Amino acid sequence: MSLTAISSKKNTKARLISGVMYSLCVGFTVFILLVLLLVVGYLISIGWQSVSLAFFTQVQIPYGAEGYPGGMLNGLLGTLVLVSMAAVVGIPVGMLAGIFLSEYGANSMLASPVRFVADVLAGVPSIVVGILGYELLVVPIGHYNGWAGALTLAFIMVPIVARTTEEMLRLVPHSYREASIALGATKARTILRVVVPSAAGSLITGVMLALARVAGETAPLLFTALGSRLLTVNPNQPFPSLTKQIYDYATGPYEAQKRMAWAGILVLIGLIFVFNLTVRLIARSKHGTA
Amino acid sequence: MAVDVLISIRPDQSASRLKTRTKGVGSDAALGFLVRFGAIMVLVMMASLVFVLFRASLDSMREFGPKFLITSNWRPNELEVTKRTADGKIVKDTDGEPIKEIIPAQFGALPVIYGTAVSSVVALSLAVPLSLGAALFLIRIAPRLRPRLPNGWRVPVDVWTSFLIEFLAAIPSIAYGLWGLFVLVPFMQSHLEPGLNWIFGHVPGLGFMHADALTGRDMLTGSLVLGIMIVPIITAVSRDVLRAVPQAQIEGSLALGATWWQSCFEMLRYSRSGLFGAVMLGLARAAGETMAVTMVIGNIPNIKASPFAPAQTMSSLLANEFSEASTKLHTSALLQVALILLLMSLAFNIVARKLIVGKGGGVRG
Repeated sequence: MSLTAISSKKNTKARLISGVMYSLCVGFTVFILLVLLLVVGYLISIGWQSVSLAFFTQVQIPYGAEGYPGGMLNGLLGTLVLVSMAAVVGIPVGMLAGIFLSEYGANSMLASPVRFVADVLAGVPSIVVGILGYELLVVPIGHYNGWAGALTLAFIMVPIVARTTEEMLRLVPHSYREASIALGATKARTILRVVVPSAAGSLITGVMLALARVAGETAPLLFTALGSRLLTVNPNQPFPSLTKQIYDYATGPYEAQKRMAWAGILVLIGLIFVFNLTVRLIARSKHGTA
Repeated sequence: MAVDVLISIRPDQSASRLKTRTKGVGSDAALGFLVRFGAIMVLVMMASLVFVLFRASLDSMREFGPKFLITSNWRPNELEVTKRTADGKIVKDTDGEPIKEIIPAQFGALPVIYGTAVSSVVALSLAVPLSLGAALFLIRIAPRLRPRLPNGWRVPVDVWTSFLIEFLAAIPSIAYGLWGLFVLVPFMQSHLEPGLNWIFGHVPGLGFMHADALTGRDMLTGSLVLGIMIVPIITAVSRDVLRAVPQAQIEGSLALGATWWQSCFEMLRYSRSGLFGAVMLGLARAAGETMAVTMVIGNIPNIKASPFAPAQTMSSLLANEFSEASTKLHTSALLQVALILLLMSLAFNIVARKLIVGKGGGVRG
């Protein structure tokens, strides 16, 4: 920038533009936070009016029957069971893949394609994964069932858990591994007794974020678990979930069920908020910064 | 080697030492096998996704060929119509009864491809400027804002803003859908759209965007909800990309007399490919988004110029029809739509990853 370029007139104009852009950046951020807080605030305030004890203790009761509209216990329990089943499959597979990428990856041709595919897989629309679940687990069995729902959610978890595990294990200082090997420990022992435990806090963080993500999924359950108004833990049958129940209630014709949908969203967002906050606190206590 | 030495010094313990050692070797192999299994599972998952969807949509591909992508009839059921001659006269049989003919079910994906493309692009054009502004705020403004509370605590504005934006990214799509359906749709129908529609109806040249009926469940509302939903992800990734710009780059431009904005612009220019990656991630998210869009877009596969006409996206078509498809061809056509959606999101994600890894490094979406 030559001296002539900083002539006073041009300088004033540049300063003016700079001031405008600065205010725009601040304004945009405030606007985003306002809109998003408006959404969440609305969900919370309406949900708060609709939530009741019956929400947690009663199952869905159809329109016209005694006790209508009942509660969402079947959906709550359904989501809990589905997410637990998904976790049992998805977390081990994802973690193993993550350990491979971090601890074995350097010497393997397999690592970079796996890393790339995991990244891309994490971005696949969840409804497409749901359709895969339908083709592989609903068509052969012949009817909608809980296994298909749980495995579809596990499918969504694997790439997320794999990539977080890899990144968390990479943060473990290399000297830990060297010290362990120097003491005569095998590679497996080093990984299982030294590397993984020292990253345990952040690994739990990653797992919890993946759980929160799949707990809020609706689209992949539409064609797999389908939903059910029964209180059931039998995965051979169509299986209830909180999110599908909220969707049915919200798009259905009945006023009392719509109010119930608001309450359901409040509970779901509350759970996710608590998860996120916990994760932040764990991350901060382990690494100093969040 | 250390173990060998120990064995030679203490022969009495050699047996147990050897045992540990062989056991260790065994678990080494076992863990090596297990982690490779996990890694290969990731590849298998991707392969099965592509393979299963491709195989299941073969029927539809054979039936319609490339026409599937460029025709706009989406009619799952056979249609019985009165046969007419070329000039519109009803053809009658010998008894004077009109002859009926059956038109087979037809599937063309153009309206839903159009719906996905338009809603995603409109959502992006709303979300990108907002997100980039917020990302610059988080990197260049917020770190210096530490207002002091009356009790002496300092509020770290950047930490809290980041937390809020990340929390908002974690809110499930069904929540945005519920809000869209019960708050945004009525608001659009009774407040925003009548005014806009009046303008479209009276200003010459804009007449093509005028709609006869306003439902609130239309392309515009769908795009708005999508735009709101993708702001957090684009903001978070852009923030990480901008954070990777070397401090010297910023200080250098400031030292040369650049204004605040000129140095910000330099940052944006420096990390443009990473930022483009962030936008692509947002695009992939918008194109695949299902529940919220399904609840507010109206779900009629139309190609209309008016933003107030109901529309349909690929994902909302799947959400609506897949579990009710009765014929084999209908299911196959829907699976082909799913395949197109998958390939599209793969393409966006691959481009995004290539760009972000190139500059930002270690960025997660």
